[in-house]
Amino acid sequence: MTTCRDSLDLLLEYAEGHLPDDVRRRLEAHFGDCQPCEEFLKTYRATPGLCKKALAATMPEAVAKKLTTFLRRELQAHGDGEPKAE
Amino acid sequence: MEPTDDAVLLARARAGDVSGFEALVEKHKDRVYALALRMTNSEADAAEVSQEAFLAAFRNLKEFRGDAQFGSWVHRIAANTALMRLRKRKAAAETLESTLEVEPTFNERGSLMDTVSNWRDAEGDALDAELRVAIETAAASLADEYRQVFVLRDLEGLSYEEIAELTGDTVAAIKSRLHRARLSLRAAIDHFYGERNG
Repeated sequence: MTTCRDSLDLLLEYAEGHLPDDVRRRLEAHFGDCQPCEEFLKTYRATPGLCKKALAATMPEAVAKKLTTFLRRELQAHGDGEPKAE
Repeated sequence: MEPTDDAVLLARARAGDVSGFEALVEKHKDRVYALALRMTNSEADAAEVSQEAFLAAFRNLKEFRGDAQFGSWVHRIAANTALMRLRKRKAAAETLESTLEVEPTFNERGSLMDTVSNWRDAEGDALDAELRVAIETAAASLADEYRQVFVLRDLEGLSYEEIAELTGDTVAAIKSRLHRARLSLRAAIDHFYGERNG
C-alpha cells in the first residue's frame, strides 16, 4: 500500500511523467483517496512556476552601462572587435 | 518595429561588427543577469559573471553552431561561469550548509499530518510583492548545490543531462537536490499563504 511518505518521494518523477505505469497507477489511487496528498501535489506542481515569476530580474541600469563599457574596452583591446579565428 | 533577429545580429558580430554584438547583449542581458544573480546569490558576482559570459561568447562566436539558439548558448556560458565562481567561493571559505527543513510531518503510519494552506491567490498572473520577497528569501537560503540545480532546471529549463554535463554530478543526485529544493520553496510559499490566509 502506498503511504503519504512514499508518495512524497515519488512526486518529482510523477510530476514529470517519468514513473512506470504500475507505480503511477498506485500513486494516483493514493491521491484519489488522500485529499492532503492531492493538495500537496497541486502546490508542489505550482511551485516552479511561482518561483520563476518571483525570481525574474532585470539588469540594473548602472550594471548595464558598466557591461557596455567593459565589453567595448575588451573587444578593442583584443583584436579590434574581431572574434577569435576558428 | 520587429526586433532584429538574433541570426542577423550574429552574422554581423561574426564579421567583426561590435554594434551587432552589442545588440545581442542588449537582448539577452536581463536573462543572463537573472541567471547569474540567482545562481551566485550576489549582485556583485552577477555583474561580473555577466561581463565574463558575454566576453567569452564574443571570443568564441566562431565556435557557435548556427543551429542552436544564441540565447541558450550564452546562458550555458553564463551558467558555467557562475558554477566556476561558486566553486572558487566554496574553496575560499567554507559555506554554511543550509538546513533544509523541508519534510512535511507524517504520523507513525506514514500519513501526512500537515494541512496545505490556501493558495488561491497564486493562480493570477500578477505576483504579490510580499510573496516575491518570501520566495527570494527562501531561494537565497538554499545551499549553493541545491539552488544551482533549481535555477538550471526550473528557471532555465535545462535537461537533467545538460545539468549533469555542467556540474559533473549524476542525474540521480541532481533530481534528489531538485526535489528537496522544490520542497523547501513549496514550504516557504505555503508558510506565506498560511500567515496571510490563516
